[in-house]
Amino acid sequence: MVAGGYFGRALVVHVGDGQASALPLPDDVLRGYVGGVGLGAWLMHRLGPPGVDPLAPDAPLAFVFSPMVGTPLTTSAKFAVVAKSPLTGMLNDALASSQFAISGKLTGHDAIVVTGTCARPSVLLVDGSGARLIDAGDLWGLPAAEAEKRLRERLGRGWRAATIGPAGERGVRYATISHDGRHAGRGGLGTVLGAKRLKGVAVRAATKVASAHPQAVLEAARDLRARSFGPATAKYRELGTLANLLAFNAISTLPTRNFQAATFAGAPRLAAEDLAEMRGVARSGCASCTIGCEHIYAARGGKQMRVEYENVFALGPMCGVSDPDAVLAASGRCDELGLDTISAGGTIAWAMECAERGLIDAPWLRFGDGDALLRAVQEIGARQGLGELLAEGSRRAAEQVGGGSEAFALQVKGLELPGYEPRTMQAMAIGLAVNARGADHNRSGAYEADLSGEHDRLEGGAGQVTAAIETEDRAAVMDSLILCKFLRGVFSEPFDEWATLLSAVTGWDVDGAELRQTARRIVLAKRVFNIREGWTPEDDWLPERLLSEPLRIGSGRVATLTPGRLRGMIDGYYAERGLDGEGRPDEASVAGLLLS
Amino acid sequence: MAASAGIVLAGGRSSRMGTPKAALEWHGSTLLRRVAGVLARVVDGPVVVVRAPGQALPALPAQVDVVEDAREGLGPLQGLATGLAATADRAVAAFVCSTDLPFLHPAFVRRVLRALGEGADVGLPIALGHPQPLAAAYRTALAPVAERLVAAQRLRPAFLFEECMVARLDEAALRADPALAALDPDLDSVININEPADYAAARSRIAPEVTVQRFGALADGHRGPRLVRAATMAGAAAAAGVALGTHVVAALNGDQITRDGEMPLATGDTVSFLAADAGG
Repeated sequence: MVAGGYFGRALVVHVGDGQASALPLPDDVLRGYVGGVGLGAWLMHRLGPPGVDPLAPDAPLAFVFSPMVGTPLTTSAKFAVVAKSPLTGMLNDALASSQFAISGKLTGHDAIVVTGTCARPSVLLVDGSGARLIDAGDLWGLPAAEAEKRLRERLGRGWRAATIGPAGERGVRYATISHDGRHAGRGGLGTVLGAKRLKGVAVRAATKVASAHPQAVLEAARDLRARSFGPATAKYRELGTLANLLAFNAISTLPTRNFQAATFAGAPRLAAEDLAEMRGVARSGCASCTIGCEHIYAARGGKQMRVEYENVFALGPMCGVSDPDAVLAASGRCDELGLDTISAGGTIAWAMECAERGLIDAPWLRFGDGDALLRAVQEIGARQGLGELLAEGSRRAAEQVGGGSEAFALQVKGLELPGYEPRTMQAMAIGLAVNARGADHNRSGAYEADLSGEHDRLEGGAGQVTAAIETEDRAAVMDSLILCKFLRGVFSEPFDEWATLLSAVTGWDVDGAELRQTARRIVLAKRVFNIREGWTPEDDWLPERLLSEPLRIGSGRVATLTPGRLRGMIDGYYAERGLDGEGRPDEASVAGLLLS
Repeated sequence: MAASAGIVLAGGRSSRMGTPKAALEWHGSTLLRRVAGVLARVVDGPVVVVRAPGQALPALPAQVDVVEDAREGLGPLQGLATGLAATADRAVAAFVCSTDLPFLHPAFVRRVLRALGEGADVGLPIALGHPQPLAAAYRTALAPVAERLVAAQRLRPAFLFEECMVARLDEAALRADPALAALDPDLDSVININEPADYAAARSRIAPEVTVQRFGALADGHRGPRLVRAATMAGAAAAAGVALGTHVVAALNGDQITRDGEMPLATGDTVSFLAADAGG
């Protein structure tokens, strides 16, 4: 008997020949990996050929749902997209929230996995009748949102489509997959879909799934909903994530001009506080969410767009651009092209510094120039001019350009850094260095420790390591259940409370201790996948700039993150995780991962 | 080994005050909590409170070490010897002060500690007409010298100064420090409290002027910096209309993050109140 909230199977579609089959998902696998990024990691182990090129036909890409999807639990309408990343060559997962999650799951599958490559541009349809392909020649080249709109018009009511933009079609290594204005953004999952000549995947609900204890789920949903209106989520509700910008600027954690500074004089022009007043249009939320973190702003010309901290950071301070019109325009263009704004901004900032140092021939590209920023975004999306180089991401581009530019390519494992300064957030530093996905703020979340007041954020050590492991474990569970991490502040005993929710949905007798083990299993499974795909200890490290250029902050203190300190924290992380001195697990640990 | 430690000598009898000075309240905190907190803001090593044997102390943060004088009633050199010995293996130097300095400013502590940078063993302020051995900097390596003098009943700090290199800092030298000149121009840092009248005078002075700023959802229509009077972080939070806690933290001068409402504030400080959740 399948546990509540699950169908106990994944649909595996080979788009080269249109064949589809059901992959049974045993109860111990579901319980051991839950869903979302956890189950996605297990699927990549099971279905991904070792050493496969992420853009090769055999490389699988999975849309993974979770037991919570379809329940009334707030923020649960989320799905994970999981594949080997063309940017990092390692395991990558990205989350998005929309009705696609509910409709996709209610096709009767806990995951939809795509392998192969279509003969021509196509869209994969999945519903109660199974899987089939339709021609997408007329959609190829369109922005993701436009393609999604036309698909819904063509397919009719009930269909939900996740699509890619031109960047994914053209092989830009950090292309996104989008639905309803939300993006599975990081690591180039849109590139993988594009390599399969899939413009998108459309799903239509065909069945239902029941929770094991519906009344308990309903009561928990009411309680969680009430808590979601409280102070823990006020920041997200009232100003959205962009509220970070001025606060980070005040505490020297706002990466600026390719991490050459941690404060930005132009920050007030881009701040949520001002934008909300001058350009705020509406507030919205994802499907099944009561937080409502989405803030819509009006750009020049009247276009409306959703704005988040990370896209404003990456296209604003990171590139030295303070003109809100330029930043909003660049962000909007990234959405149209289907580009991850963090990697786009990080790569452009690297190129701006290269241009100013004379390492690349692009005299038009300068920090602070909004027109140059827009041109760079456009060229990346088109893979034209300088865009051919920048479409590869900062790590590959720096390897090509050389001249010492690797030192200021701000990436880990090939993934560009998000807007958290590791020298002034040294718990975050360890989180960024060791995370399986690369420089990632959503799978480690160690900034929580830096802002807890319990550690000196400029003096990383053992306390930060333990805290980073705790936040990484929490993220592993939340991203597998899946619940939005913006909800995390409402849980006082998170593992216990999540276990109660999972028990109500599935009928399993899960407790907090088991979920802690689940978290460790998921984190380790990702590491083991990366090791299989060629990870080396050198991949758990930070860019040279962060380790050789101290930052003086407003108080007068100097934030220094030395290689020795980072080494010490990484060693501590390995030890606490039960890994050997080179970050590898022993055979017994791997045997417990249910991978064989 | 840290560069500097903080040592607060709390073991005096407070006979003229008539009540233990360490526990006296000043703008929402005790004198001892305030002085220990000011030192903690400056030094990179431990903060140690030296008390008389069995002496009751007001509440202190867990990070503050408390040590006891081996012998009672031998005066400040005994406390100095105990404090230096307690920090000698953890810090090169220590700022040593009494507990009764409500106006002690971090800028003063920094300036005095810097006097040891040129090879001196003691940085001794000469301010408000007197040497200030209980608001001075000492190399912790002086611990055995101080202990030997105590054993020999040579109990005045002046005997210690005879045996080491002392950098004397007159008021001009102190005020040459721009930060100190701006933040404590009258050198109120060394004003101590000995009698009830001193305490009454200190209490009549308003709390330090600090700048507060609320960010994000906490701003609630009150954006931008604002001057308030507050001697503690909790006082600043109250003046700003926020409450520190699970969901709200404060950054002091753009540096350390804290939820500690008793953290002392001093003139010229800037406090930023932020959402504790930095998710983006």
